[in-house]
Amino acid sequence: MEGMDETPFDVELDVDLDKVWVGVAAQVWRRRPGRVERLVGRLLRSPGLARALLTTPSLLVPWLLASIGVMAAGALATAATGEPLVALLAPAMAGAGIAYSYGPGMDPAWELACSMAINESMVLLTRALAVFAVNAVLALAASVVCPAAAGIALGWFVPMTAVSMLALAAATLTRSANIGVAAAVVAWTLTVLASSSATGRFAAAVDGGLTLLLPYLLVAVCCAAIVVHRPATPRGNS
Amino acid sequence: MNVEINGLVRRFGRTEAVRGVDLTVDSGVFGLLGPNGAGKTSLFRMMATVIPPTSGTLRLLGRDPGNHHDRREIRRRLGYLPQNLGYYPRFTVAEFVEYFALLKEMPPARVPAAVASAVEKVGLGDKARARLHTLSGGMLRRVGIAQAIVNNPELVLLDEPTAGLDPEQRVDFRKLMREIGETSTVVLSTHLVEDIGASCSRVAMMYNGTIAFNGTPDELVSLGEGRVGDAPLERGYSAVLAGVRA
Amino acid sequence: MDDDELIARLAGGDDVALRELFGRHARWLAGRLRTALPASDVEDVLQETFLEVWRSAPNYRAQDSAAGWLWTIARRRAAMWLRKNGRTDEVALFAEPVAEDPSEGVIVREDLRAALDAIGPEGGPDREVFRLVYEQDRPVAEVAVLLGVPEGTVKSRSFRVRRALRAALGEHRTAEERI
Repeated sequence: MEGMDETPFDVELDVDLDKVWVGVAAQVWRRRPGRVERLVGRLLRSPGLARALLTTPSLLVPWLLASIGVMAAGALATAATGEPLVALLAPAMAGAGIAYSYGPGMDPAWELACSMAINESMVLLTRALAVFAVNAVLALAASVVCPAAAGIALGWFVPMTAVSMLALAAATLTRSANIGVAAAVVAWTLTVLASSSATGRFAAAVDGGLTLLLPYLLVAVCCAAIVVHRPATPRGNS
Repeated sequence: MNVEINGLVRRFGRTEAVRGVDLTVDSGVFGLLGPNGAGKTSLFRMMATVIPPTSGTLRLLGRDPGNHHDRREIRRRLGYLPQNLGYYPRFTVAEFVEYFALLKEMPPARVPAAVASAVEKVGLGDKARARLHTLSGGMLRRVGIAQAIVNNPELVLLDEPTAGLDPEQRVDFRKLMREIGETSTVVLSTHLVEDIGASCSRVAMMYNGTIAFNGTPDELVSLGEGRVGDAPLERGYSAVLAGVRA
Repeated sequence: MDDDELIARLAGGDDVALRELFGRHARWLAGRLRTALPASDVEDVLQETFLEVWRSAPNYRAQDSAAGWLWTIARRRAAMWLRKNGRTDEVALFAEPVAEDPSEGVIVREDLRAALDAIGPEGGPDREVFRLVYEQDRPVAEVAVLLGVPEGTVKSRSFRVRRALRAALGEHRTAEERI
């Protein structure tokens, strides 16, 4: 074919073909971040943190769709029964989401992540805040749909904070997202049942007003302290 | 010195995994030998800034990992391959290496070429876009090595890097370590004696949380003279173990 | 697997096929480029060449010669590289080969003149696109800036130019054959 015979094959070629291939491969293999990731990277001033955030298991599309489904069902049930089911569901949903944002139970490369410049605490905190914010928006949307329950629904925000922090603390201490979820759901269920039994009102856990504000905030603060000051001991030693 | 360790101790509850280790490592490839349970992984975890020491001093790349700012600077210049590295199954090889390049705060513009170079160096160029759940154990280990070297680290810590690699891949790996060791400090922990002989200029042996030997591979070989064993380094290794167990 | 099959796989997004193609052809392409360019420039041009190969593989027709196609891309990339770096006097090194038979040259020129008339008057929008995109091998983005129009406008004018040229060259040849 044209030209091949003109090539000086017997002459030492001083062109670094390996370097050329790496340049080609760099462009062919590169992942181009989407608009959301680029925006989050600019907001957080860290492309790494943005990437870590958008790979959070409980911020992935399937999880979000499931959350929307549960909240929608809760909203419909609230509209049908008049009971603030959205307010009762939201904290458990947020707790599960928070637990599935972190932990060696969820993050298979957790030990490696602990050696990164963007440390795992920063990733953890950013994920927790993002999951919390997403769940707050979902619950708010569900509440808006049911004006009858709107007033009571506002009571969900504080208990949601407490339950989320409990989930995070349990997941952190046990290094297991599943245990974090279980702890959060069990604790919340017990809270709802106990307050209902004590007052005779089913929704007492969320419509207690200022009476419950302090206990919930106390739980949130204590759990946050556990998360921040957790011992950094990985499982096993050799 | 890129690694300076003095009297380092690490306790887990009542167990002392590392008990008073002194070690200095400069550039080149440094091997850390020892049987299972010797304390190698705990020492590695401290060097990788994953866990803090219980007591003693540790300086990495001239910095104190106990200081938050210094720790971040160390981590930007560090490459670490844990003994048990989990993977994100849906990530591709290139995505996995890129993810950790970003977490090491590499400038984003440099990341694509660095990822391509690292993936090629470990011989996974034809698997760059393969999902991790499709790869064999040996390939996954090489992915782990790729993420450890993607940021051209000044200090590379590899815990059992050749696990799952076939003999030809081990030869390639040792050659890669020698190349990296020309400009960086590589510390590799292994229980395979032949990994040491082929790539390390210095070697230490750990036993029961302490350093039982620290010298060159030739010095280790000379300790094994007169003993029975498959290879000179293995004889030296056995001699040291016999000495500390006595 | 022959080159045509490799390029077909490339067109489907198979980067391993690109790697194989690179392994087969990069060396001789580099050697040819190296006869006119320094090593560091060859590395850059070769990289751009294979990236264009990756992007334009879907346009490759199996009856073309793979090596000829690769060299055409490499030559174009080399010319663009030289232009971008202000070395326009060296661009001729990578120009299309000229017909050896003088009469062949005349026929070619006549064809071309007739075809250009079909695009429009000199200085007109379509002639300008032809001059910048096809004669000077400039990328679409650059031409858009030079003409002060959106990239989409450049692309649609290019399409119009190609269609007009194809039609004109076809008609002109047929008319000559009748004479």
